[in-house]
Amino acid sequence: MLRTSFQGVARLVRHKALYRSPCLLPRVHLASAFGSSTESLVARFCPEKTDLKDYALPNASWCSDMLSLYQKFLEKTKSGGWIKLPSFKSNRDHIQGLKLPFGLETASDKQDWRLFTRSIQLEGQGYEYVIFFHPSEKKSVCLFQPGPYLEGAPGFAHGGSLAALMDETYSKTAYLAGEGLFTLSLNIKFKNLIPVGSLAVLDIQVEKIEDQKLYMSCIAQSRDKQTVYAKSSGKEICSLSLGCLPLPHPQQRGGKMRAKSQILSWSLGLLGVGMLLARDMDEEKGNKVRITQPATQDSLK
Amino acid sequence: MLRNCAMRLRTLGTTPARRPGAARRLFSSEKVIRKDYALPNPSWTKDLRLLFDQFMKKCEDGSWKRMPSHRQNPTRAIQEFQTLFVDSKFKKEEQMSKAQQFTRSFEEGLGFEYAMFYNNVEKRTVSLFQGGLHLQGVPGFVHGGAIATIIDVTTGTCAISEGIAMTANLNITYKKPIPLLSVVVVNSQLQKIEGRKLFVSCTIQSIDEKTLYTEATALFIKLDPEKPLT
Repeated sequence: MLRTSFQGVARLVRHKALYRSPCLLPRVHLASAFGSSTESLVARFCPEKTDLKDYALPNASWCSDMLSLYQKFLEKTKSGGWIKLPSFKSNRDHIQGLKLPFGLETASDKQDWRLFTRSIQLEGQGYEYVIFFHPSEKKSVCLFQPGPYLEGAPGFAHGGSLAALMDETYSKTAYLAGEGLFTLSLNIKFKNLIPVGSLAVLDIQVEKIEDQKLYMSCIAQSRDKQTVYAKSSGKEICSLSLGCLPLPHPQQRGGKMRAKSQILSWSLGLLGVGMLLARDMDEEKGNKVRITQPATQDSLK
Repeated sequence: MLRNCAMRLRTLGTTPARRPGAARRLFSSEKVIRKDYALPNPSWTKDLRLLFDQFMKKCEDGSWKRMPSHRQNPTRAIQEFQTLFVDSKFKKEEQMSKAQQFTRSFEEGLGFEYAMFYNNVEKRTVSLFQGGLHLQGVPGFVHGGAIATIIDVTTGTCAISEGIAMTANLNITYKKPIPLLSVVVVNSQLQKIEGRKLFVSCTIQSIDEKTLYTEATALFIKLDPEKPLT
């Protein structure tokens, strides 16, 4: 019964008429209704089979440092809890069926969007990078090799290109660690320039998750850690907190069961409200709105 | 020019052929290399053109100046920078010929479409920016890193007017996401100078100034030939 109820709510949320009513139903993704665990987020993010091209794979432009470190981390994915993240040309490909919170939906769905860090398509000319994520320790490592199209000062990568890659790694880490969606702040201290074509290793750590915000830190350095290129901190906001109704806190250690039962009771309450509203609109608009699962209503009575 | 191209080809020939496109690149005409990208093109929306015209009017009395923007740095500037500030082990001729300015590495309309204007008296730089579809982050919105880049470029122009400088710190607070293909005004102001330190602030707002998208502060350090970067 619960499963059909939630399916019904999800369908209602997707229906246009309800979207237009301001802030009545926040985004209710089926998995999120139970508070997405990192495991389920990773499973959705890393499809087992896909036709999409994965750009985070070695190619002829990768320097030997990058190749050898990549192999080392690949070994760790077999035994030690690390996961290699795929990298597609658009975030829409990563997060299939992502519904942005009300008010942030954009009208069109253009096919020629490209993720900024995958926009320069010529091999070796722009961003060459791969991210490895450790779900239990909530940390990431990004291997980054800037190409000549990312130049700022002659022979060195533009500060903005490193900022962009830091933001990108923060985004992916925050999404998988706690459904982080938008960056709230980014503070970068540049220490040394990265020569074009050389390897920079970015180590990202989630420091804490508080008030629906993820706080992370990053250090970008050379492989031998002798040269620090930059240090930064970033803050991302969780997508669940972007709705208008008070939301349960994201899962924290020791509070899993409490969070789940809170979400459950909150969702059932919303379901009731949603059903009532849908019925009212149905009367107003002369049956233009159709609830596709009449059985759901009956099961609530 | 032909002699220089021939010399470079010979150098390329001795290194392992990793990038077959390199030789073709060298034969691009001077016109393509020196094209000024900070001028209207068909991808510019009406809003961007109007704003551009408004600022061009402001340039008429000399208080504002439009900054030209090229894909590649002139060879002379590259050589000067490398000689003054960079250790010889980092000098790579081969890469210099292929390199291009990050913000101009996109097809027309798909990346950063922007024009910068500088006011020498007020020490202010204004960028009129339109983010193309290849700058996507969250679907439909400009990537936080692309915003960081345009802030770095705009604040950098403010700082470079005092001498060659490098970004030391960049602190950005994102208030609202910027939709792709919308036009925003990036306004940066030199706040103070302390020795070699240059403090610059920056805001990104909508054209009507009613929406504040981003706020930022940046610290630049003026380069000293006595203290090389590498």
